[in-house]
Amino acid sequence: MIQLTHVSKQYDQRPALQDVTFEIGKGEFVLLMGPSGAGKSTLLRMLIGAERPDHGEIVVHQKNVTMLKPSDVPYLRRKVGTVFQDFRLLPKKSVFDNVALPLLVQGVSSVDIRRKVTEALRAVGVEHKRDQLPAGLSTGEQQRVCIARAIVNGPVVLLADEPTGNLDPSLTSEIIELFKLINARGTTVVVATHDPLVMAQVNRRVLTLSQGRLLPEQRVME
Amino acid sequence: MRTFSYLLRESWINMWTNRTTTLVAILTTTFTLACVGVFLLLYVNLRAAAGWLQDDIKIMVYLDERLGSDSVAGVEQHLRGDRAVASLLFISKEQALGEFKAQFPSESHLLDGLGQNPLPASFVVALSQAFRSPDAVKRWAERVRQVPGVAKVDYNQDWIDALATVVRSIELVAIGIGVILSAAAVTIIANTIRLTLFTRRDEIAILRLIGATTSFIRIPYLLEGAVLGALGSALSLVMLKVMYELFRQQMRTTGRFAGLENLMAFFPPSVCLALVAVGMGLGFAGSFVSIRRFGEAKA
Repeated sequence: MIQLTHVSKQYDQRPALQDVTFEIGKGEFVLLMGPSGAGKSTLLRMLIGAERPDHGEIVVHQKNVTMLKPSDVPYLRRKVGTVFQDFRLLPKKSVFDNVALPLLVQGVSSVDIRRKVTEALRAVGVEHKRDQLPAGLSTGEQQRVCIARAIVNGPVVLLADEPTGNLDPSLTSEIIELFKLINARGTTVVVATHDPLVMAQVNRRVLTLSQGRLLPEQRVME
Repeated sequence: MRTFSYLLRESWINMWTNRTTTLVAILTTTFTLACVGVFLLLYVNLRAAAGWLQDDIKIMVYLDERLGSDSVAGVEQHLRGDRAVASLLFISKEQALGEFKAQFPSESHLLDGLGQNPLPASFVVALSQAFRSPDAVKRWAERVRQVPGVAKVDYNQDWIDALATVVRSIELVAIGIGVILSAAAVTIIANTIRLTLFTRRDEIAILRLIGATTSFIRIPYLLEGAVLGALGSALSLVMLKVMYELFRQQMRTTGRFAGLENLMAFFPPSVCLALVAVGMGLGFAGSFVSIRRFGEAKA
């Protein structure tokens, strides 16, 4: 599902990623670990075509992201859901409208939007908050809405960048359980985090980045 | 359909959120386009006036003193056969004298002293529409001067030339001012849209991340620019119409120009619609300039 081959990237002579090569299969749940500045966010941004590597090749869902034309990037992003630490919800739109947005940009019919948004909100447990504005939600609820928006159009890959960075330990567990559930339905999940609590809760493959380099893989057992 | 209504709603939200900026942009565009409109209106009216005055221009073809009646008929036949001639009126020496006495009764004794009638017979010629330009009139007069029996061809060349120069000058000024002020309108709208884009940059970044195409992101801003331009243009026409009516009213009440107001005309509805469309186009262009700088899909 995701393939990186000898990917390197540097900003102002400072290496962000150095010769990174790995492969993630369909339906896998992978943790991308590493301290701040290790290159996790850069790597995730490359997977959605927001950054281009200086060297190497990236393939996501059989699309060579490195060769993608700017006009084709939106179509890649419709297949890849993204979850952020700061949620990035539109403050003046209701929960329903926020979650409906990815469907709206694809021209999905009103009937289907209503059905799919309701399903996504139910899946993350905030269906009862559908008419509220993001400011009226707790941080945990806002992250759930962000996840609902990321999964509403049935992406093949879900990328999460420090999704629990703003959450307390109990909410972190809930969000991780949610990711496991989404993964169990067949979606490939990649979670970038530096939080050991997340690693402790996930018995899955771990890719560790340190100063832009990929360290030998480890597997965390529950 | 839902997508389209979403885009329309977003345009409206953009304008409402930045309503002060929007209002200032519309009003500035209104005044800018009204300035262009004043020159355009002046140009249209002067051009029409030039047309009427040229319609009214008569060319006098004076005949040789010694010409017999057969030769006069020959000149008349020549003129009637000329496709440039729309109408023709013969004025005999006697008729010319009678007209002179009628127009200048106090000066008629001057001619009495000469013993014989010094005024020549003539044809008063009106040229057809296609031959009324200054150059065409000049060419025609030079040609007719060569006709045997014709002594002189007279018309007010200076008047025709001066009028044509004035109309051409106004046309150039209108084009020059139109281009400069249209560029100003584009800049005003471009800045308004840039401000909107700046205030909504986070939202635009989110739209990009969830797979919105560049055109999906751009359309609300292009619509907003077009609406600002169209509203500015429509309001400038309302403003011009009010000014135009006040001016006509003023002319009517001022005895000196009374009657002239009936010769003035405002833009016909088709031109008004075209001007609104031009305003819309300028707004669209202004918006396009701003959003182009926002680049392609980046997060």
